[in-house]
This record gives sequence, C-alpha cells and structure tokens, in this order.
Amino acid sequence: MRLKPFIYAVLLASFGASAAFGAGGPMAGKTVRVGVIADVTGGAGVYGTPQKNAYDLASDDIKAGKIDAGGATVVFDVQDAATDAAQAVNLMQKFTTDGQTALVLGPTLSGEAFKAFPIAKAANFPVMGTSTTAEGVTAIGPTVFRCALAESQVIPTTVKRTHGKWHYKTAAIIYGDDNAFTKTDGDIFARELKAAGVDVVDTETFHIKDTDFQPSLTRIESKHPDVIAIGALFPEATKIIEQAGKLGIKAHMMGGNGLNSPEMYSVAGSASHGTVVGAAWYSGAMYPSNVNFVKHYTAKYGKGPDQFAAQAYAAAQIVAYLVKNGATNKDGMLAGLKHVRVIQTVLGPIGFDANRDVKSSPVILSIVKNGFTTFH
Amino acid sequence: MIAQQLLNGLFLGAVYALFAVGYTLVFGVLDILNLAHAAIFTAAAFAAFSLASMGVPIPLALLAAAVMAGIMGILLDRVAFAPLRARNAGTLVPLISSIGVAIVIGAVLRGIYGVDERHFAIGGAAAAPVIHLGTVRFTTVELLIFLSAIALMLVLGWILRATALGRSIRAVAEDRVAAALLGVDLERTIGATFFIASSLGGAAGVLTGLEYNSATIDMGGPIELKGLAVIILGGMGSVTGAVAGGFILGAVETLAIAFGLSAWRDAILFGVMFLLLVARPTGLFGKRTLRAA
Amino acid sequence: MNALVDFYAKHSRLVDQIGVNAIMALSLSVSLRAGQLALAQAAFMGIAAYLSAILSLNAHWPLLASIALAMLVSALVAALLAYPVRRLRGVFLAIATIGFGEIVRVFANNFSITGGAEGLSGIPNDATTPVIYVGLALVAVALFALSRTKFALAVSLVREDEHAARSVGVDVGAIRTLSLALGGAIAGLGGALYAHSNFFLTPADFGFGRMEQILVACVIGGVTNAAGAVLGAGLITLLPEITRAVQAATGANVDFFRELVTGVVLLGVILFAPAGISGLWRKRA
Repeated sequence: MRLKPFIYAVLLASFGASAAFGAGGPMAGKTVRVGVIADVTGGAGVYGTPQKNAYDLASDDIKAGKIDAGGATVVFDVQDAATDAAQAVNLMQKFTTDGQTALVLGPTLSGEAFKAFPIAKAANFPVMGTSTTAEGVTAIGPTVFRCALAESQVIPTTVKRTHGKWHYKTAAIIYGDDNAFTKTDGDIFARELKAAGVDVVDTETFHIKDTDFQPSLTRIESKHPDVIAIGALFPEATKIIEQAGKLGIKAHMMGGNGLNSPEMYSVAGSASHGTVVGAAWYSGAMYPSNVNFVKHYTAKYGKGPDQFAAQAYAAAQIVAYLVKNGATNKDGMLAGLKHVRVIQTVLGPIGFDANRDVKSSPVILSIVKNGFTTFH
Repeated sequence: MIAQQLLNGLFLGAVYALFAVGYTLVFGVLDILNLAHAAIFTAAAFAAFSLASMGVPIPLALLAAAVMAGIMGILLDRVAFAPLRARNAGTLVPLISSIGVAIVIGAVLRGIYGVDERHFAIGGAAAAPVIHLGTVRFTTVELLIFLSAIALMLVLGWILRATALGRSIRAVAEDRVAAALLGVDLERTIGATFFIASSLGGAAGVLTGLEYNSATIDMGGPIELKGLAVIILGGMGSVTGAVAGGFILGAVETLAIAFGLSAWRDAILFGVMFLLLVARPTGLFGKRTLRAA
Repeated sequence: MNALVDFYAKHSRLVDQIGVNAIMALSLSVSLRAGQLALAQAAFMGIAAYLSAILSLNAHWPLLASIALAMLVSALVAALLAYPVRRLRGVFLAIATIGFGEIVRVFANNFSITGGAEGLSGIPNDATTPVIYVGLALVAVALFALSRTKFALAVSLVREDEHAARSVGVDVGAIRTLSLALGGAIAGLGGALYAHSNFFLTPADFGFGRMEQILVACVIGGVTNAAGAVLGAGLITLLPEITRAVQAATGANVDFFRELVTGVVLLGVILFAPAGISGLWRKRA
C-alpha cells in the first residue's frame, strides 16, 4: 500500500526522462554492438526463442526511447547456437575477435557457458549469462557476469517460506538427473530440506524429455510425503504436476525457476493450483518497466513472457544503462559492469556482488488460475 | 502400489509396441533401420493437434493423421530409399538418407509450429474422468489409448495373415528375389509396407500426444532409442515380437522405477537388450536368420 | 599470409573441431571397412575424454601421458566389447553398440567423479591446433601404412565375404576384434583431444547425437579411405557456419532455415554420391 506513491513518482520520473532523451542524449550518434548467443532452435529452443523475442522487443524499446540508452543505437546481434555447444563456442570466438562487439550475452545453457566463457576469459572480454544458473559459472573468470539468480540463491528461501507456512515433516524430491540445472535443483532441495529438519522419504529422478512420470509418482505416493519438491524445467514440470493430480496425490508441491511460466495453469490444469514456485522474476511485479514489458511482449508475441524472456530483457536494460554511462566498447563495458551499483530492471532493482553474480531478491510465488500470486 | 505400477507399465508398453511395429516391418522387408520413423511419429502428433484445434473430433483426427503419416512413409521411400535401392547401395547409406529426411521433417515442423509445446484441446488428462478399480486409478482417455493401440496391432496382424497384401509383404521379407520371381510387384509391396508402418508409427505419435497432452518437436528422440531396444527384445522382423517386446520394455522400465532405480533405468533397459542380443541374437521371437553385413 | 593468420585468430576453435571430428570419423571408418556397423565410437570417445580429463585435473598428468592411457583404455574396452557381440552382424551389431553407448552415458551421469550431469569443468586447454593435427596426421599415416599390409587385405576380405575369408584361413573373429580395438584406440585419441580443447565435459556430449554426427561425417565423406573421413568431418563441422553465412547473405530471417538446408544438403549428397564425396573422385579415376 505504501508503495503506490513511490511507484507513481518513479513512473513520472521515467516518463520525463524518456521525453528528455527521446531524440538526443549524451550518447547520440554512437552505435554499440552486443553479441547474443541463444539457442533459438534445437532442444533448448523453447528457452532461447523467448530470449530472442525479448531482445527484439528491447531493441524496439530502445529505439522508441522507452529504455534509456542515452540516445545511442544499440544493436543486438542475436545468433542461433541451435543447442550445439560447438556452435556456441564458435560464436563466442567470432564475437570476441571481430573487433566490433562490445559485450556478449548468453549462451542459453550452462553447459554451453562452461565451454564458451573460458574463451572470453582468455580474451579479457566481458560476458553476461542471462539464464546460465549452474554453480561455478561466474567463477570461470573475472569478466564473467550473471544477471540470473542461481538456484542456490532461490531455493533456500523457497524451503524456508513454505516450511514456515505449511510445517511439513516429510518430503519427496523429484528432479532431472541429466541436466545441470535440474540436478542442481534436486541437490539443493535435498540439502535445504535436511537442514530444515524435514525427513526426505523418497527421491526420484527422471531424464529431460521424459513424458511419463506416473511410475515415479506412484512410488512417491506410496511413501505419503507432506510435500513434493520438483526440480524440473517447464515441459517436465507441467506433466509431473498434471499426472500427480491424475493419480490423486494431494501433497503440497513446490519447485524452482523452471516452473516460472504463465502457461502453467493452462497446461497443467487445476492440479497446479497452489504449487509454490521460487523464482527470480514475478510477472505481476509492479515495477513500471515490468508492467510495460509484460504488456508489450504479450501484445507482440501473443503470449506472456516467461522468466527466460524477462531475464534477457533485464540484460538489455543493463546494457542500455552501461551505454548511457559511456560504455561503447569491451573495455568500457567491463569497467561499467564492475562499477554498477543499482540498475532498475523488470526483475526489480539489481546489482552485482563480489562474485559478479546478480544481487536481487527471489520471489516466492503461488500458482493460481490466471498466472501467479505472491506466496504468503 | 505394485498393481498401479504394473498398469503404468502396460499403458507405457502399448505405445512402445505400436511404435516398434513400424520399425520392425520396414526392417523385415528391406533390411534398413528407418531413422525417420520417429520424425513421422512427431509429425502425426502435430497434425492431429492442428486438426483437433480446428474442432475435428479426436478419433477422426487420429485417423487422418495416421493416413497422412502413411503417405509420408510412401514419400520417404520414394525420396530416400528407392533411388538407393536401384543402385544397390547397401544398408548403411539408406540409414544416412533417413537421417537427412528426419532433419528436414524436423525443420519443416519447426517452421510451421515454432518451438512451443502444443497441447490438445481436450483440456489435459486431468479433465478426463478417472476410474478406480481396487487400488489402481486410470482415466478413460488412458484406457481408450491403450485399447486403440491394441486394436491397431490386431488389425496389422490380420492384414499380414489374411490378406493378399500381407502375403506379399511376408514373401518379400522372406526372400526378395524369390518373391519377385514368383510375380510379386516389389515396388508396390514395399510402398504398401511403408504406408502401413508409417501410419502405425503416426498413430503411436498421436496416441502419445494425447496421453501426455503434449506435442513437441523432439518427442521422437527418447522413443526412437527405446524402439531399437524393443525390436531387439522382440526379434527383428517379427511383428509379434515387437508387440511382446514393447510390453516387456514398458514393464522393465516401470519396475526399475518402482524399485528405486530410476536413475539407472536406461542402463537397465539397454543392458537387458544387450544381454539378450548376446545370448539369443534372434531375439525372443525372432524368425529371421542372421545375415552377413 | 596475413589473411591466413587473421582467419586462424578468428576461427581457431572451428579448425580444432574439424581436426577432432576428422579423427573420430577415421576411427569409425576402421570398423566400417571391416564390414562392422559398430556404432560405439561416441562411447569410446566419452570414456577417453573423461579419463584423460580426470587424470589431468585430479592427478596432474601431462597431456601426452593422459592421451596415451586414454587411448589404451579405449582400445581395451573396444576389444572387450568385441567378444559379446562377435556373432552379431549388420543392424543387430549397430543396435547392440548403440545400447552400449547409452549404458556408458548413464554411468557417466550417475557418478560424481565424472561430475554427473553438472559435468567436469576447468580442463586444461592444452590440446592446441598443432597437437590435434599432428595426431590426425599420425593416425592417417598409420592407417595408410596399415592399408599396405596383409592385415588390410584380410579386413577387406572379411567385409566382402566372410565365409570366403574363413575358408581361406582368415581368423575372422580376431580380425573383427582387432579392427574394433584399432577403432577404439583412434576414438580414444579423439576423445582425449576433445576434452583438452573444450574446457568442459558433460555426458550429453557423447550420446546418440554425437554418434549420428560421426556416422554421417564418415559416410558422407566416403567410408573406404582416410581422405573421405576427413572431408566428411570437415563438411559436417563447417555446415552450421556455412548455413549461417548463407542465411545472413540471403537475409532469410527464418529460424528453421539452417536446419532445413542441413537436411537437404545431407540428403542431396548421399543420394547423389552414395559412395561418399571421395567416392566421386574414385569413379572418375
């Protein structure tokens, strides 16, 4: 309630600011090229395409002055790595040696990042991951940044808040064991649940692209846990939840970033109602740039943005901020990134910590019929 | 819990069997592994999705998609296999051309449908009425899918046993040269084989899409590999074997999970296949003798 | 000269990838030339990659030593695999070996020493371009030298007509085992070099997708000679970048364009030249 006047003030200020910088600005006439490596096609196409959409939208918004880049032209050169790590590596080499690119965003998957980021490190070139949330990514080198909250930054809060509300004594975990992201989820859930004194009565694993979770869920049900923790990406998560409902499982369910898509209810149905999602972004957050982002993305692409899109858009906002403050080449970008205090993005106000990971607060959400509400 | 698990295994096995039957038919008749089978499986699922979202009732959509898949199979043969047959190119080269076709089909599907997962209009399986039978639960949709798969396999069995076409197919599978000498129209029979095999594979795709309420571009990947294990388990070239193999695989996979070994389930599955191959290379029902490479 | 140096600075990773893929294609060609459709190269590659990476990371072995041991172990595994599959032919052998590959991948996924699904990172990047291409050259030379021996003759005979080979006293089982082991050793080299030129390994790197890529490279190039394998590997590695350039040039802003072109090219080449690209030259000669 107290937030409203503040929001109005910010809205007014940003309106005024964009009016002032619409056609000119300190960086007018400058062009900055940002390389983007995204898996637009291939197995991870479902994640890379929203990313590309977000950059296209951000490009439009910068041109229209909705995102303030000081009047400069920012070109996002989005290249498809087709979920092929070899292509991601070649693209990274291309961007870091073409002499024109100032910064590289992406790649989409952590595994690709582990192969491509060392190239940037060797070239002392700034890169920022927008979805590569595995552990150890930013530790690759001093030029590697990340604007996506890692699982290790979100799940502890998820467990704490749900345990505080539901007071569960027993839990089951189901996670994907052949994907770094989902495996990390599984491991961290296990660790946090144990630390909270919860008895993990069953742990089930699945593989990415699996569609039938009934055998695993049947086994989980036979152990009667109070809550089920899901470490999955969206396609698998929807089926897990849907099939759990079909089998009559009544336990509470909670999951990580992978479940954060507005399509959840329309796909998984009523079984997903009340599932808690610990996430890095809330589609209903009232940050002005977020409200506009959600509205325009939905209008332009026919469906709401997911977390991959939001984090990519936030990266574009970070880029605009850096450009506005004078960064036009890789050295400028690197220096700019190192000195960031707080940037207003669709994820809220964010910064970077000493390890170059994003400093932001996770949001704990609850699935409802039209999307999400915050979890209380 | 075991009863439910066995039921899970049964439902899973039925779809595996339906998919594998198409694989094994083509191998039996032509000695080639058709790696575009999974792509046709996927294409049929998307076709059914499109029809369903236009309001076509599901059974009709299934039929139409299966027929479309059958036609795709004939085209596949004309484009990728027949030219190589004419040049006596062996069994390795058609494998590669089937990979090429699979990539093309995948690209076209992506072009038409984009990267998003598609969901059938029936509103998710959670909306279907659930049947309780003692300790087990399943939905009417699942039951229908299971029965459809069984029905299709029975139809295939009848075609092979009781029709002239079936006899031709079996003759060509047994000995292509002799069959030709006896007056069997080779190209027509092969075309018919591809139609049948691909339409069954397509039907498997539609049923799988309905079962999990999902059609995705890469839904063919996991089943493609498991299909290989099925035809080995059952015996290459044996339709009965493929059916039995499908159910066995469904059971092995489900039981592996039921006993807490889900992380190892692929290794168990392929391990069983491997051991069977070594012990009994013709598979459980294999009638085909080993051929030199 | 300057242009070449510049090209290398911008594309050294691509050049390295072609080298490693060529070695892998050669390893498969050895089995194929013995008439064995043994599709376990990706698994051997994976075993060698992980082994050499773990030796470098945990035991600080120098590069060459870790490569040598990886090759030895791969060859051993291949030889051991040859025994249970000795009676399998054609597609049966193919499927059995694919199954073996899947089993290896599951093992790599489930053990912490390989890093599981999270993978193994921080592998020293010391397989530089000269190292890779010297390795490729050595393999090519070795295979060429071998092709002049009685062993090669026996291998050809086994491929053409196994029964005839047996009847003239060739120990078919031994030939098959040896060719599988040789293929395994070469795949071991490829795997170790892959590990030391990629910083990071994950089990998914060595699954059925990798096997398909190696198979396609080998057959597209032409199974029966080393030049074919190298050509095929070159084409397959370069194809994504070629299609990227074509897409940029034609301005076709459709996401599936590259995939479509890749499939069409593959199909076109194999239908036009079933004996592979190198087979085209042969025909004219």
